[in-house]
Amino acid sequence: MATLPHNDIFQLVREPIDTVALAGVVRAPEDGAVVTFDGFVRNQSHNRPTLYLDYEAYESMALTKMREIGLQIHEKYRIHRVAMVHRLGRLEIGETSVFIAVSAPHRAAAFDACRFAIDTLKRTVPIWKKEYFEDGAVWADGEMPPAPAATPRAKPAS
Amino acid sequence: MPPVSQTIRVTVFFFGRLKDLAGHAEDSAEFSDATTIEQLFALYAARYPELAKYRSSVVASRNQEFAAWDTPLRSGDEVAFLPPVSGG
Repeated sequence: MATLPHNDIFQLVREPIDTVALAGVVRAPEDGAVVTFDGFVRNQSHNRPTLYLDYEAYESMALTKMREIGLQIHEKYRIHRVAMVHRLGRLEIGETSVFIAVSAPHRAAAFDACRFAIDTLKRTVPIWKKEYFEDGAVWADGEMPPAPAATPRAKPAS
Repeated sequence: MPPVSQTIRVTVFFFGRLKDLAGHAEDSAEFSDATTIEQLFALYAARYPELAKYRSSVVASRNQEFAAWDTPLRSGDEVAFLPPVSGG
């Protein structure tokens, strides 16, 4: 794998995410701000009490898509570093499922990049969660990633 | 000379709800003629009719990039059928 520019971090993990450590890792003397997003397991879904969640991923593609988001936010915003970690497997109420930290010289870029990163992750990264309730389990409603339209083709020469 | 028929062998992954409906996460398929992702899905939809109901919400990938349904398959491709994503 090619070395990533910017020393960014993109990971899928099965252990608890150390949010404090990640927020520290992106922080450098030339920065003036770190914005973090901590997504964690809610105790209910549509007013139904949740017992726990189980996340799965198309891991190789998910990491590719996470790295693409990193490259996109470096292009779009004046930021320094990104850490983006998603946890897989069984997660209990209150546990962090996704954590994003973005450092930047100034806060506006860090806020904007962090927001763009989580919104894009939720729309394009192939990860799925199954919600477990007292009376059964369902795959959570998701978002359809934007897929390429049918390929326009030149008419075959006859 | 007639074209030499070449076997196209692909690996197929199902995720989330689609994995439950297909009963397995991974399969391999072989074709002797040109085949698109759409035709590959139709093959599984015929085998597992429940899958067909979800066709309009499925997105396909080829070699870990989102792919159009009319994408032709090449031997060695890795195709995945992805239900709406719900990470985060």
